[in-house]
Amino acid sequence: MTHASINGRMIQPKPGQTILQAAQELGITIPTLCYHPDLSPVGSCRLCLVEIEGWRQKVAACVTPIRPGMVIYTETPGLVEVRRFILSLLLRHYYDAGYGGRERPETEFEHWVRVYQVERRRDSQAQPRFAIPSDPHPLVWVDWNKCILCTRCVRACAEIQGRFVWGVADRGERAHIVAGLGSSMLEARCESCGACAAYCPTGALDDKMALGWGRPDKIVRSVCSYCGVGCGIRLQVKNNRIIRVSGDEQAPVNGLHLCVKGRYGFDYVHHPERLRRPRVRRYLLSGRSKSEATAAEREWVEVDWDTALDLAAEKLTQIWRESGSDALGVLASAKCTNEENYLMQKFARQVLGTQNVDHCARLCHSSTVAALSLAFGSGAMSNTMHDVAEHAQALFIIGSNVTEQHPVFGSMLRQAVLRRRIPLVVADPRRIDITEFATLHLQHLPGTDIALLNGLMHIILKNGWHDTRFIAERCENFEAFAASLEAYPPEKVAEITHVPVAALQRAAEILARHKPVAAIWAMGITQHTTGVMNVLALANLQMLLGNLGVPGGGVNPLRGQNNVQGACDMGALPNVFPGYQPVSDAQIVRKFDAAWALQPTLRSSDVSPTLGLAGKPGLTVTEMVHQFGTGQIRALYVLGEDLALTEPDLPHTRQSLAQGEFLILQEIFPSETSVFADILLPGVSFAEKSGTFTNTERRVQLVRAALEPMGDARPDWHIIADLARRVLARQGRYPAGPWAGWQYTSPSAIFEEMAALTPLYAGISHARLEHETLHWPVPDKNHPGTPILFVHGFPRGRGRFHVVEHLPPAEWPDAEYPLLLTTGRVLYHWHGGELTRRSMVMQLCPRPVVEIHPDDAARFGLNGTRQVRLRSRRGEMLAYVQITTRVAPGVVFGNFHFPGPNNVNNLTNAALDPVSKIPEFKVAAVRLEPVPEAC
Amino acid sequence: MPLLSEDLRQAIEDYTRRYATRQAALLPALHLIQERFRCVPREAIEELADLLDLHPAQVHDTLSFYGFFRDAGNPLGRFRVWVCRSLPCMLRGGEEILDDLCHYLNIQPGQTTADGAITLEFAECLGACELAPCLLVNDECHGPLTQESARQLVAQLRRAGVQHGV
Repeated sequence: MTHASINGRMIQPKPGQTILQAAQELGITIPTLCYHPDLSPVGSCRLCLVEIEGWRQKVAACVTPIRPGMVIYTETPGLVEVRRFILSLLLRHYYDAGYGGRERPETEFEHWVRVYQVERRRDSQAQPRFAIPSDPHPLVWVDWNKCILCTRCVRACAEIQGRFVWGVADRGERAHIVAGLGSSMLEARCESCGACAAYCPTGALDDKMALGWGRPDKIVRSVCSYCGVGCGIRLQVKNNRIIRVSGDEQAPVNGLHLCVKGRYGFDYVHHPERLRRPRVRRYLLSGRSKSEATAAEREWVEVDWDTALDLAAEKLTQIWRESGSDALGVLASAKCTNEENYLMQKFARQVLGTQNVDHCARLCHSSTVAALSLAFGSGAMSNTMHDVAEHAQALFIIGSNVTEQHPVFGSMLRQAVLRRRIPLVVADPRRIDITEFATLHLQHLPGTDIALLNGLMHIILKNGWHDTRFIAERCENFEAFAASLEAYPPEKVAEITHVPVAALQRAAEILARHKPVAAIWAMGITQHTTGVMNVLALANLQMLLGNLGVPGGGVNPLRGQNNVQGACDMGALPNVFPGYQPVSDAQIVRKFDAAWALQPTLRSSDVSPTLGLAGKPGLTVTEMVHQFGTGQIRALYVLGEDLALTEPDLPHTRQSLAQGEFLILQEIFPSETSVFADILLPGVSFAEKSGTFTNTERRVQLVRAALEPMGDARPDWHIIADLARRVLARQGRYPAGPWAGWQYTSPSAIFEEMAALTPLYAGISHARLEHETLHWPVPDKNHPGTPILFVHGFPRGRGRFHVVEHLPPAEWPDAEYPLLLTTGRVLYHWHGGELTRRSMVMQLCPRPVVEIHPDDAARFGLNGTRQVRLRSRRGEMLAYVQITTRVAPGVVFGNFHFPGPNNVNNLTNAALDPVSKIPEFKVAAVRLEPVPEAC
Repeated sequence: MPLLSEDLRQAIEDYTRRYATRQAALLPALHLIQERFRCVPREAIEELADLLDLHPAQVHDTLSFYGFFRDAGNPLGRFRVWVCRSLPCMLRGGEEILDDLCHYLNIQPGQTTADGAITLEFAECLGACELAPCLLVNDECHGPLTQESARQLVAQLRRAGVQHGV
């Protein structure tokens, strides 16, 4: 006998399959409460009991394997009676205080109570047993009166988030769920991801912001707008308002899981400060020049779209005529869609005729892109997040605070360590949260990554642990590279990095003895004057160990913004067209010149007969801002970037922006930069537009509009195209090439144009993305996508080893500025904080904080002062003190989430990596002084 | 300064070697801690979790299942006296002994004398029915007892407890 039957229907049991899973396969519903497919089954609620012929007892379907020969019944009168009894017992302790209104969506528990027509018993709980709410968490609603002890919250916290906040206390008659040792959630180290609420079947745990809003009018599947992980979300919308964000259980990246920002940080979309109408400075209307304008004439005036766009187009055209294409610059946005980034760079290159287009990737992973292109010929994450979590035999995380910056991937990595017990080596100047799960934490000094990596490779090579076959077959320049490692013996490396020799030895052995190792990094590696060389050293390491082109290995830079990968892919960079087609390749320039051809030809160059494009890279963002100050760049068109908050050395940045001639800013909020803008164009948030985002693992995903735009605001792609048409009209040119026009009817039409010109995306379309998930490259319409890069070879042929030498950072502590400042973000905020400071999430981190080691606190006489002033050679910052051993003595850590005097970028150094032009955000020398309370 | 001393940590470490996983040493470790501190303080839970690769919530989950473990607000006295009240002991006067000791010490079962010498509790069965009626002083069984001999025993314990400065 090979079959079993359920309710008379035959099924062939699969190995390891439970009765519940088999029933689901047949489309038979068995009621459950403690069971959830994402969580380990416990079989405690007994609602899924079934009968098996010949068995004396009923068994729980969620934990009983199905076997051939079983004759199973899931819904008999006896079972119905048992279920009604179980539900009535659960109802006895359940107490619903009645909040949330009549329109409140039905919970799973209420659903089964209704289906089985169970009435509350007369001896049921008449008074709440617990306070409502039962926990002061600002975002997660807790009401233990509704708890049925299914423990889904306990398991979700442990098995999804890996935080272990929840437990069951006093098991027995008085059993109840507690946070930690009976404290509040936040005291029990809750990261506020809301997984417990997402998995709760009764509403005992719920999203506080969603309470009282009732049922949604519609649910729209989209992609989170925070980090590069690219979680699928469901926007629940009522009356043009998002009332709840939940994980999209069909999303390949995250399922139901989200982080605190993704789940609770969406309310910025409805913030009253949203820009609703275009604004221009009064002097533009009166025709006065900016320099002569009085304070009153510098005030904003709200105008209609025609006025604002005509003024913008007029001025851009005037400068284009007077000073030429290269007096103009365009900054695209890693927060906007692929379609919009494509249009921004097309606007720069076709309409303005300049290669001066860049975006904030300059400030995060430009060094990664440059270095990986040098080593392999392609500059992106080589493996997928799930592949790393499921197949790596060891993890090496360097310079990535992954649980705070890419929280959902961070929890995947925690689970990889918990479930598969793989070793984890973390190299980070701070004792970041993921070190809790690390086999080994190498706490090296900021700016010593090359010495550290070369030191590890020195040990690997000396012990003969390198992959000679991989090196011989797939790499080049090994000998020179190997010889260069001679200069990095462990003793010397220990001296430079402050990592003990024994730890170096052990780390090298872990990395070499487990295969494959996935190398994961982020800003800690890239934001240095040696950023490119840091990444080259990591590429060297992965080639040396033969960890490329295989599942579970690879080079895995974690991209920051939701669509920073896409913005780079779209060619919003001064050196490449879409799909990394270099501007220095004359054939490529001719291809785009023909595709975007304009007539009549007003300007022309050798390589670009109709557009006059240069065959060499344009300026980077930092250079453009600088030249805006000096007048070489006369106008900047900026999409959604807060330069006056996120650039290094802000005093200089602000000065440049103040001196610049004409700044068009397209934004959703007034920002630090809007102070300097001449025209402010209201774009829309991710929730009000459609298009695509490409996440860190090159996965292209559809973003769907869930809301109508706020006020008169318009989708950004719409604004860019409108402005382009107006400028072209003033220039007296019209589209002649096959893809030269600007009459787009939808984002999918823009995508189609981009795909036609971009081999990496050639096979992707919105239609395909409706039912598929694709990792580029996707060369044709039948190609299934490429989850893992370099399987059959490197785009440049052989992987190239590079000799990289340790160089000290541009600035180092000295007597005058004795502390080393390193910078980054915190879990509860997003980059410049423009979004999270306008969200409920703000309550969890309301103040700028600087981490200081207890020794330094004593040394600088902080004596319990709450605030400090940090000074560098460039500026100063005011922040609250957090005394912690997360940082090493001599190192302080600050974030850039707060504007004005509270921004760490007042202090950071604008020294640039010579190749990628990334600034050295991660190392600056500072001194600090206590601030008396009265200030 | 960690709360768990080096020797206590070592004793816990010795237990971990007896089991397949470190986590399995949780109960013996909790016993060791309570023996030392007469309760399981919060700091000890956190340090123990760290020692056994567990999370504080998991330790709390296990320890709160057992009425045996005390928190810092309700520590044990120097001597924990358990008077058995199961059937054989009851038939031979166990409940009367318990009542008498309550009266003598002026505390209720579960409480501790003000001098911290004695915690009085009832036990469901000490598994020493041949000694009925019996009681347990920490790990040591005494019986058969009368009300008088029980009082004498407790009086001695009290003196010892007070002398040793609980």
